[in-house]
Amino acid sequence: MNADQTRESLEVLTQFLYVAPVGLLQFQSNGAIELVSPLAAQLLVPLNPAGDLSNAYAALAPLVPDLARQVREFPESEGPIVDHSRCAVTAGGRRFVLALTVRRIHGDLHMAVLEDVTALDEREQQLQRDQERFRAIFANVREYAIYTVSLDGIIDEWNQSLAQFGGWRPEDVLGRSLDMFFVAEDRQDRLPAVLLSRARQNGSVETEGWCLRRDGSRFWANSVITILPDGEKALRGFVVVSRDMTERKRVEDELRRFATTDPLTGAFNRRYGESCIVKALDESVTGGQRPGILLLDIDHFKSINDRYSHEAGDRALCALVNACKATLAETQPVVRWGGEEFLVLLPSTDLDQATATAERLREAIRHASVPTRNGVIRMTVSIGGAIGQGESIENLVHRADTALYTAKRNGRDCVVMAA
Amino acid sequence: MTSQPAFADPGLIAWLETASDQDLDTLPFGVVAMAPDGIVVAYNKAESTIAGLRPERVIGRHFFSSVAPCTNNYMVAERFVQEAELDATIGYVFTLRMAPTPVRLRLLKRPDARRMYLIVERRMPGEC
Repeated sequence: MNADQTRESLEVLTQFLYVAPVGLLQFQSNGAIELVSPLAAQLLVPLNPAGDLSNAYAALAPLVPDLARQVREFPESEGPIVDHSRCAVTAGGRRFVLALTVRRIHGDLHMAVLEDVTALDEREQQLQRDQERFRAIFANVREYAIYTVSLDGIIDEWNQSLAQFGGWRPEDVLGRSLDMFFVAEDRQDRLPAVLLSRARQNGSVETEGWCLRRDGSRFWANSVITILPDGEKALRGFVVVSRDMTERKRVEDELRRFATTDPLTGAFNRRYGESCIVKALDESVTGGQRPGILLLDIDHFKSINDRYSHEAGDRALCALVNACKATLAETQPVVRWGGEEFLVLLPSTDLDQATATAERLREAIRHASVPTRNGVIRMTVSIGGAIGQGESIENLVHRADTALYTAKRNGRDCVVMAA
Repeated sequence: MTSQPAFADPGLIAWLETASDQDLDTLPFGVVAMAPDGIVVAYNKAESTIAGLRPERVIGRHFFSSVAPCTNNYMVAERFVQEAELDATIGYVFTLRMAPTPVRLRLLKRPDARRMYLIVERRMPGEC
């Protein structure tokens, strides 16, 4: 290499060290600095403006006051003396955090590496503060569980809310699939995977369903699953927030019951009954099955009320409904259609089956007895029935009603089916 | 041109404003002339010798961030940015050829001037 090449090479190396974004110091055991890079000066001069950067121990004193002793007492012939130590310093009224590493390279040769990690440190502090905030939240929520899962639904962290929510300990949940919180029926239907997939598509998904506690008991929960992004394009996993809705569900179920049933007899109320009939008629259009209705009217009910009492009459109505329910399937609802008139809906039937059912009901009611102070009440019913033929509810009920009228005229305690 | 100014001369910046590159090269102390945005527009011989950098390597680059990052802090660079008018002399340590070099810096900036200046003079260790 000739003189020009040497000079060129030296300039290039000099430039390289000038702009390297790490502070470097090479010093001897007595602290004498042999080489120092510009960034080291950038970071150290403000800490000691009157200094001259000739001695490493003096220059680094604001970071590590006893560096001379540490170097002196370091027993190895080479190795780290200070290892990425974070030091907070103040200069120009501002706070900086510097990371310092000091190594013995060989014998008397030592190197220090210095980096400004103020921003990094601030981010880590912020993270720490966030974590503490979350811990405080988790420790105090009672009705919620908040947890994260990986992309394939594996629970990757535990917090206090899971303990309060379902009695779960860390070893119970870590590394396991969120499947474990779902009941067997939902697991069979692969519901958890479906929910995650939907959350992934839409950003989040909301669901209500049964949830399990550690003791195996189940409760009704409302859950929201939201995607957890990783930067701008990727996904890290999901956040699940589950809320115990047991109380709300109980109230909702009760409200639904109140809205659809007759308070006295426990039969469905007329409004709900009508909607059931309309639904059955609609489904018969596409399905092909035919619904039937039976109208039941207690014979001489007025005289039962007069003879025994209204309260006894009420009990008679209850007895009738109970007798019907005992004879019928759950899919065949009993509806209180009027004061002493009842309707039974048979969602899928034919003339023969409906007639047979009506006869069984008539018999069951005949055998029902209501003990009162003034004797045992026995009653009979007249029944008029009709099979749906793709018509309106009004028409179907009218035909059943006409049949009922015929049954009354035929002497009561009998069944007449519309043609 | 009038006789050579000294490092601490009050009229230094006026002299520098009208100095040619050859004029700058006659000075015994280092002069870095920058455009208001910090880009080096002139770099005299004295500075080039002690920094070990040829002017071609330096002119056109941002002084504080890419030529002399040791000055890229509140003591030097930020003052040029924040203050409209500047005439301050401070002790500093350069790392010319990676050796700690105690220097005296004079920061010169005036709102009506076409360039701003960093003047560099060696000092003895212990001097201010």
